[in-house]
Amino acid sequence: MEPVEKIFDTRELNVNMGPQHPATHGVLRLVLDIDGETIVKVTPYVGYLHRGIEKLGESMSYFQALPLTDRMDYVSAMSNNIGYCVAVEKLYGIEVPERAKFIRTIAGEMSRIANHLLWLATHALDIGAMTVFLYCFREREWILDLYEMICGARLTVTYPRVGGVRNDVQQEFLESLWKFTDEFPSRILEYETLIDQNRIWLLRTKGIGVISAEEAVNWGMTGPTLRGSGVPYDIRKFMPYDAYDKVDFEVPIGTVGDTYDRYRCRMLEMRQSNNIIRQCIEKLPAGPVMADAPKFTMQPKDKMMPITHPTKQHAFFIKEKACKGCGMCLRACPAKAIFGEKKKPHAIKQDMCLGCATCYVTCKFKALVIVPAGKGLSDEKLAELAEAPVPEEITKASEYLVRQFEFVKKGPKVPEGEIYVATEVPKGELGFYFVSDGSAKPYRMRVRAPSFVHAGCLPRLCAGHLVADVIANIGTIDIVLGECDR
Amino acid sequence: MTVRDIIKRFTFIEIFQGMALTLRKMFSRAVTIQYPKERRPIAPGFRGQHALAKNPDGKAKCVSCGLCATICPSQCIYVRRKEDGQENYEVDVLRCIFCGFCVEACPYGAIVLTENYEYSGYTKEEIYLTRSKLLANWDKHMAGKKGEEYFRKFWRPMSGDFGTPPAQSGFKGKKE
Ligand code: SF4
Ligand code: SF4
Ligand code: SF4
Ligand code: SF4
Repeated sequence: MEPVEKIFDTRELNVNMGPQHPATHGVLRLVLDIDGETIVKVTPYVGYLHRGIEKLGESMSYFQALPLTDRMDYVSAMSNNIGYCVAVEKLYGIEVPERAKFIRTIAGEMSRIANHLLWLATHALDIGAMTVFLYCFREREWILDLYEMICGARLTVTYPRVGGVRNDVQQEFLESLWKFTDEFPSRILEYETLIDQNRIWLLRTKGIGVISAEEAVNWGMTGPTLRGSGVPYDIRKFMPYDAYDKVDFEVPIGTVGDTYDRYRCRMLEMRQSNNIIRQCIEKLPAGPVMADAPKFTMQPKDKMMPITHPTKQHAFFIKEKACKGCGMCLRACPAKAIFGEKKKPHAIKQDMCLGCATCYVTCKFKALVIVPAGKGLSDEKLAELAEAPVPEEITKASEYLVRQFEFVKKGPKVPEGEIYVATEVPKGELGFYFVSDGSAKPYRMRVRAPSFVHAGCLPRLCAGHLVADVIANIGTIDIVLGECDR
Repeated sequence: MTVRDIIKRFTFIEIFQGMALTLRKMFSRAVTIQYPKERRPIAPGFRGQHALAKNPDGKAKCVSCGLCATICPSQCIYVRRKEDGQENYEVDVLRCIFCGFCVEACPYGAIVLTENYEYSGYTKEEIYLTRSKLLANWDKHMAGKKGEEYFRKFWRPMSGDFGTPPAQSGFKGKKE
């Protein structure tokens, strides 16, 4: 009889994994070249979730583009927001108040815990441990509830703002969070009871996807994925932003650089984060939560009240003598209540005016005046009243109103130049690179997304392993395709 | 391999520990809720469906200045004067991302995000918010004290955010 090798011809098989495979953590397509069960080559194909966030950012003011970052790494939206704000603040050159820094640090670390919980849940689920998944989501839900308490949203939070945070934290929130930090370490122990020493878990993670420190650096890995190989690189330590230089924490590192080490790193990181949150709550200083940089932030609402309060019955009136007839107000009026010919004095038809103040903000020649409590009066009467000095209250309020209109309609101008600012998000180094041409919108916005770089490491991590280990490897690098494809 | 490892290996100790934990959890209170029957409490200030605020005298506060429409990152607010002179205000909720920027941009406190998150429909028109629907939302979800409370707490920033308000939250010491 002929030997078997002669009858059967073995050849490499080319199979697709994804883009819809549930274990690919999003829509990632891998083309596997396999020899039997062994991986010869892995080629990742990304881009299925591309929404053009970088390009979209170029058509929006810096303030407006903030919610886009929520939609990159939606698992830890808070960290993305913070990274963006830190970068834009550097570009603007504004300093954030201490309290806001602490609040952001708290929020960022909550996001790290939430991210690692989701990572552990899905990683364990991929490998076959269903229980951990449910337990992790129990705590993640808790964090999301806490998010809802501070900012009214659970997933896409949009909480930090350029110059601080949206709103101050409530006492109630701090107490609930403190309770969470009390409870959380015991919950981590629960997950560890389930998998840490479990023989199946060990078999599936130890010695899988080993990468040496040097190689990990060369492949551009960052975050816990890098630290699992023993490189203690953490931006929070090396280039502290927010309040990280005021809290005490360690950077856990692994030794071997396999899937198990990276898992250990993240587990320890959750404990560290818990610690950081506790320190921040204890040290939370009193003070403002928004930077005092009127040009770069929304204006305080109560200061505009003398004009904008609904009970105020102000009238807007054009002083005939001062009006140059430029027509700016005419074009801006949403009610089309202004009439006039070019180069001739314009006039407002009072019964059509909605009182929105757009014309007042638009007029460059101080021809438009606010007549306090003048609504419903005749034009002659208004002309008479318009000559009277305007109350100081109104003048002050109008300054804020003008700034608010300018901030919203035009956005603050940024000096020319470029900047790259990186922050440590749960997945690694998230960098924002802005090129500014001096206008209110970025000329170019580029995001250095850790998931993208890590997805590129898959060929290196998977080579030589079995097909089932591809899943473990996708889990261990902790990628979210929303961020990878942007 | 030490003796300890061998014992561990043959007694399945870690597996039993894990199972003991899950067994214990069987007798603790369930954390899941049966959604349509049970509802989780919503934190105040939740960013849900929009509403247009009304004055105490029942008129809309909105003056059609268009700031909300300008700041909206998804460009889903339409403010325009119709041909017949009627003010028009529409929100294409299907495109809204509930960022809350419209509330922040409005100097008049005229738009709010209510706590309503349960709205669905078979057609786009059912979900599309017109001016009358928005005003009705105010009566439904925000009328009275609730609306006042909303503006006091969630219409930000206020000058307090740029300074140090007297009763600021902080750490009050460990509770034993
Ligand atoms: S206040 Fe507004 S509605 Fe009235 S005239 Fe000026 S721009 Fe037009
Ligand atoms: S913007 Fe001022 S100067 Fe120009 S037409 Fe209007 S009121 Fe006159
Ligand atoms: S919540 Fe955001 S997306 Fe929605 S309408 Fe307001 S500004 Fe636009
Ligand atoms: S809701 Fe506010 S910002 Fe929007 S148009 Fe009305 S008044 Fe202006």
